[in-house]
Amino acid sequence: MTEPRFDELIHPSTRLSIVALLAAADWAEFAFVRDRLDLSDSALSKQLSTLEEAGYVDIERPVRDSRRRVRARLTPAGRTAFDGHVAALRQIVATSDPEQALV
Amino acid sequence: MEHVTPNEARAALDSVERGRRQVIDQIALPYWYWFGLALGWIALGFVTDLKHPWLTTAGTLLFGAVHSAVAPRVVDGRHRSRQVSVSRDLAGRQTARIVLGGIVGCALLTIAGSVAVGADGARHPVTITSVFVAVIIVLGGPQLLAVVRRRAARDAGR
Repeated sequence: MTEPRFDELIHPSTRLSIVALLAAADWAEFAFVRDRLDLSDSALSKQLSTLEEAGYVDIERPVRDSRRRVRARLTPAGRTAFDGHVAALRQIVATSDPEQALV
Repeated sequence: MEHVTPNEARAALDSVERGRRQVIDQIALPYWYWFGLALGWIALGFVTDLKHPWLTTAGTLLFGAVHSAVAPRVVDGRHRSRQVSVSRDLAGRQTARIVLGGIVGCALLTIAGSVAVGADGARHPVTITSVFVAVIIVLGGPQLLAVVRRRAARDAGR
C-alpha cells in the first residue's frame, strides 16, 4: 500500500504526464515523450531538467548507430514520489465521492 | 494539497492514465517476428512433406534454434519500438507465455490439420496446413497482443 503524498513538483499537468509516461516504461527516448505528449523540444527539455534536478529522472545519452540519443528514466525516488502522488490524488477523489473509495 | 479540488484530482488522474496508455500501446511484437515465424512454418511444413526423416529433424532443430535465438529479445512484447522499453510490471510476464502458448497451439493445429488433409488424399498435407496456419500466425499474432494490451490496461487501472 503506497502512502499518499501530494507532490507539488510533479503535479503540474505537463510534468505529471511526463512522469506518468516514464513510470510505465523502463526508459523512453526524448523523441518518444515529445511526440506522445505533443511538446516542443524546448518545453520538454525544461521539464526534464526540473525533474532531473529534483532527482526524479535520470537522463542518459547513449550513442547508437553513431547517433547520440537522449533517454530518460524515472529514478526510484521519482517512482516513489509518483506513486505517492497518485495515491494522494485518489484519496482526494475518494474523499469527495465515498463510492470511489470502494472501487 | 488542500487547494486541489476533486475535479482537478480527477483530471490529473485522467492524464496519468493517458500517459500509461501511451506506453501500453507499445506492447507488441515486431511485424517481422510474425512474418518470419510464418515463413519458417511454411518452410518446415514443406521440408516435412519431403519425407526424409533426417531432413525433417534438421529442419525442426534449425527452426527451434533460430526461434530460441530471436524470441528472448522480442517475445516479451516490451521492445517493439526502439524509442521506449515498456516496464516489465506493465507488460507482465504473461506476454511470453501467451505467445509461446499460441505457438504450441499452432503446432497442434498443424499436426491435426495435416492428418485430416492427408486422410483426404492430398499430396502435400503438411505444406497445405502450414500455409493455412501461417496465415493464422500473421493475422492472429498481432490480435493476440491486443489481448495482452487490454489486460495490461485493465490491470494498470486497478
